[in-house]
Amino acid sequence: MISLFWENLRISLGSIFGNKSRSILTALGIVIGVLSVTLMGTLISGLDRTFEKSMSFLARDVLIISRMDWFGGDMDWWELRNRPRIKEDYVEQLREKSQFVAAVAPMAERGGSIIRGDKRIDTRFFGTTPEYMATNESADVITGRYFTDGENRSGARVMVIGGDVADALFPDEDPIDKYVKIGSHKFRVVGILKKQGKFMGMFSLDNQAVLPFGTYQRLFSRRGWMNVRVKVNTDNYDEAKEEIYGVMRQLRGLKPLEKDDFAINQSATMEAQYKAIKLAIGGTGLFITALSLIVGGIGIMNIMFVSVKERTKEIGVRKALGATQSMILGQFLMEAVLICLIAGLVGMGLAGGLSLLINQFFPSSMPVGLAIGSIILSVVIGIVSGLVPSYQAARLDPIDALRYE
Amino acid sequence: MADLISLKEIKRHYDVGGELVRALDGIDLTINHNEYISIMGPSGSGKSTLMNMIGCLDTPTEGVYEFEGELVHEMDDNQLASIRNRKIGFVFQTFNLLPKATALRNVEVPLIYANMAKNDRIEKAKKALIAVGLEERMHHKPNELSGGQRQRVAIARALVNDPSIILADEPTGNLDSKSGIEIMKILDKLHHAGNTIILVTHEEYIAEHADRTINLFDGKIKEDRQTKKRKRVVT
Repeated sequence: MISLFWENLRISLGSIFGNKSRSILTALGIVIGVLSVTLMGTLISGLDRTFEKSMSFLARDVLIISRMDWFGGDMDWWELRNRPRIKEDYVEQLREKSQFVAAVAPMAERGGSIIRGDKRIDTRFFGTTPEYMATNESADVITGRYFTDGENRSGARVMVIGGDVADALFPDEDPIDKYVKIGSHKFRVVGILKKQGKFMGMFSLDNQAVLPFGTYQRLFSRRGWMNVRVKVNTDNYDEAKEEIYGVMRQLRGLKPLEKDDFAINQSATMEAQYKAIKLAIGGTGLFITALSLIVGGIGIMNIMFVSVKERTKEIGVRKALGATQSMILGQFLMEAVLICLIAGLVGMGLAGGLSLLINQFFPSSMPVGLAIGSIILSVVIGIVSGLVPSYQAARLDPIDALRYE
Repeated sequence: MADLISLKEIKRHYDVGGELVRALDGIDLTINHNEYISIMGPSGSGKSTLMNMIGCLDTPTEGVYEFEGELVHEMDDNQLASIRNRKIGFVFQTFNLLPKATALRNVEVPLIYANMAKNDRIEKAKKALIAVGLEERMHHKPNELSGGQRQRVAIARALVNDPSIILADEPTGNLDSKSGIEIMKILDKLHHAGNTIILVTHEEYIAEHADRTINLFDGKIKEDRQTKKRKRVVT
């Protein structure tokens, strides 16, 4: 059997490399199919891992009260636009009225440039209270300190900066106790936040600066985004959310039949949204790749029929010399599998290379399981598409085959 | 009782477009070891069908076919393949070599199907090629060989498994007369060495090489005569 295996391998390679352009064209369908399947899988897995990592900064037990829903909502934009802003005094009132609040902090946000000498960075800065640290587990000061309650109340011009800001403005020096400017206002840097990386690989969470809320309110217009971050003290997030929702409706002065004019967001909202997107991308991708693989498989089947037809006489000779049906079946099946296997390897190689390239812009790396899976898949396609032509070859009558010209 | 082949009341009928064609219509034939037989007859007389039948490429519609005690008419496809591989060597008019394989490789093929180990296989294939005088051309492909050389490769391939019988279907039909004579010399030599040979031919002078000539007509044996030892006539 071993000598037969090598003989079949030899025949198959001879046939594949003997008809190079035909083999390449035939294999192309499978190459494209495997390439798209692997690439799709690679991207989704990259997306998944990035999402997991990025989600850590949005803890599950944190609710973010904003004017707008993060995702969707069924309201028209002009209604959303007319929603009143989130006020800072909700912070104290929530603390007072809700039994589930463990920590609560306002988050006013706007964009702007921070300048140090001739260096400058475009960033976002937040005005918040020291309690912010308790609502955000991934925010941590690694050098220096966070600002104090006193600084917050007095509107002290101090600032905690993210890693990117520190790198950009202080490439060669320790930023602590150095001064930076936002517009004409001078701030003293008191601390640097721990690096968090990029959110979904798109924007950096380290390109930010945190100011005391009091300072922010005094210096900058009250426009810009305003959220309230609430960390709840229970595992029953739904109950907590329900209660805070009631408190918020009360604070907004909404009558029972009036629509909400605020939103309570949490990482679960984002997760659900993400899962829906992932399913849509994955589902569509799978459908398209399945189609291209089916088309590729049909191509293989077609060329195998041609190959059987062309080699009818050879099949007759081999049968006359003692080849059994299963030997002939094996010979042609191996040819189909070999084309698919080579095509699968090429497709996987291309996908690997492309994922390296994409990785420059968006995190992606090919999982080993996916690579093995795509190779197994190509072998399966080879077997499925080669089976009928090979069976036809195996069943040929030796006399008819010998007479075939 | 024949010690090699026994055909009893062999019939092979085909249905061609609703019409029954009696390619073989009651053949009784016995063949012994080391016979040298030629089968002759006009086109459509059933020569090729008989050849295919003896060569186990085809099975009879009716009748009993025994090959060295094995009942061929009861065999399935795999058993037929096995008996072809072990006991029968084919030489075709059009050589039927594998075009992309070297002479050596072509001769190896039956041994591959016999599942012989590589070294033994090559050894045996080389011996067979040497036996037909092709030691210099072993690594040439068929398109690099002359017609006569190609037919010699085919004979080597037929010989390589030490078959009980060599079936040659118009072995000189595609060759010039000089190559034809060479091929016939090789077959004569093989017969002298103890092989059983059956030739199918149109040509009287080729048939004369054999010891026994069987004439077919309309699927029946018209004449079966011993050309060199004794003469026998069957209706």
